[in-house]
Amino acid sequence: MPIVKYITTDQLLVWVNALIAAQTVYGVQAKEQRFAYDALADAADLRLDFDVTILPPKKFFQPLVETIMKFHVDGHYESVTSEEPFIIFGVHPYDVVAIAQMDEVFRANYADTHYLSRRERATIVACDIQNASPSMFAACMGTATVEDGFDILLTKIGDGYVVDVRTAKGEALLVALGDAPDADAGTLARREQFWDDARRFLNKYLLKCKPTDLPALLEDQYEHAIWEHNAGLCYSCGSCNMVCPTCYCFDVQDEVDWTLEKGTRVRKWDSCMLRDFATVAGGHNFRRRREERYRHRFYRKGQYLWQRMGQIACVGCGRCTTACTAKIANPVELYNTLMEG
Amino acid sequence: MSKPRVAIFDFACCEGCQLQIVNMEEELLDLLTHIEPVEWREAMSESSERYDIAIIEGSITRQQDEERLKLIRSRAKVLIALGACATLGGVNKLANGFDDLNEVKKCVYGDAARMPHLLTGQVKAVSEVVPVDYSVHGCPINAEEFGYVIRCLLRGTTPVIPNFPVCVDCKMRESTCRFEYGEICLGPITRAGCGAPCPAAGMWCFGCRGYVDEPNINGARDVMERYRKTVDDLKSRMALFNTGQEQPHA
Repeated sequence: MPIVKYITTDQLLVWVNALIAAQTVYGVQAKEQRFAYDALADAADLRLDFDVTILPPKKFFQPLVETIMKFHVDGHYESVTSEEPFIIFGVHPYDVVAIAQMDEVFRANYADTHYLSRRERATIVACDIQNASPSMFAACMGTATVEDGFDILLTKIGDGYVVDVRTAKGEALLVALGDAPDADAGTLARREQFWDDARRFLNKYLLKCKPTDLPALLEDQYEHAIWEHNAGLCYSCGSCNMVCPTCYCFDVQDEVDWTLEKGTRVRKWDSCMLRDFATVAGGHNFRRRREERYRHRFYRKGQYLWQRMGQIACVGCGRCTTACTAKIANPVELYNTLMEG
Repeated sequence: MSKPRVAIFDFACCEGCQLQIVNMEEELLDLLTHIEPVEWREAMSESSERYDIAIIEGSITRQQDEERLKLIRSRAKVLIALGACATLGGVNKLANGFDDLNEVKKCVYGDAARMPHLLTGQVKAVSEVVPVDYSVHGCPINAEEFGYVIRCLLRGTTPVIPNFPVCVDCKMRESTCRFEYGEICLGPITRAGCGAPCPAAGMWCFGCRGYVDEPNINGARDVMERYRKTVDDLKSRMALFNTGQEQPHA
């Protein structure tokens, strides 16, 4: 039997504070004029009315800077993984889809124990979108609502929230909620209507094709003039990659401490737009030119991941469009331009 | 292996970068287990003409400084430029933007402008006078990065200094872009590695770590128009730390 409750906003606050008392809860909070995930100290700081966070929740599974190994120069080493359970509170549907994609990426081939260890210990409380972000096109990408990939889904209906529990991990959080009535049929009908609207209207830009048409669209566009034109404006600053929920590249460096014998292997987020990203041993850079890097990102999102795992690596969150100072990162504008020939 | 002998020399600067090293506090003891300081005006009285590593702080403003620097270079196996004055010429280079340096000197020093120790000319970065092996960027330097560079030298590895814009560091700490506040920020063309403390504290990036390799200056022009600023606005910002480099080479 699925558990679908309806709680008031006051009950939500009491519930979240009870969760905070028991374990680490990361929640969406205001940061300057924007929103970001951070450790939640008080439920009153939680902002489920957020439009989009600056960085995606990916940062909790693949930290920006992460020690993955400790070593001694004599050859001894030990792998470092995190085993602390945590809750992420307030994940929008497009980010739920992105997390599912990252799960597949980090499980494929050589399973990444550092990522998976965190991921397995995380409980995801998703939240339907109450306010659209300035550049989003989630409805076009089919990510404005989500069927699975979360433990609990919250949907604001009227003055309260529908609490839709899908997994045992989600159910475990309900203990802290205490008594709450099941959502009645009328409330659930309103939620269906809310989802219908979301799937139709959560777009600030309209992609003129289906996402699944993108691989074929990109097939013969490698020499299109748009790459060089837009690259002429590109700072190669990596902002579009840094904020992307489906970018996962990293750099690995070894650092020694002052003993000069003990050290750590650290991995950090990397970005294919940066000049030295594709520089390899010997100094050769196989994407030396700015337009090669600029083009690569759109091919990766629209075609390469599709070829590898049958998924489009863009969920329509619009973060890259907002983050780009030169305003050349918008995937909708770019792909629509290609469609014009 | 005996400890490398290290000498720190200051030229035209505020000596704040040396101070960052002094401020390493307990880490200073770790540093001193691996190196032997033989000259370091801010921290010791002794001096020496025999050293392996020379660390140069400050910009080069007088003929006699050029000669002193060349002598230091000839004695050192490794030379490190420390801080923006040494790596770029720093704020001292603002003087180079004026046509008449004598007028600048009179304005700054008044009657003392003719004193022999104030015979300053065009300001130069260390690399404009002698070859530099390593640069520790910033105004002031980041002591953590300094420690990292020294450990790399001691291990015989090449330090990895970021060659990407400050925007990366800003995104990592989830700061709102200064352009969104209607400000001109030098972050998109400036070398990261500082951790972007200025934008996080509400100020645009001043560019104290110098440009990344191949900054997109043409792109910067377009961005100025987009945000209703002019190229002159941008250049006025760039002058503070990057005078003489408004048109950096690709």
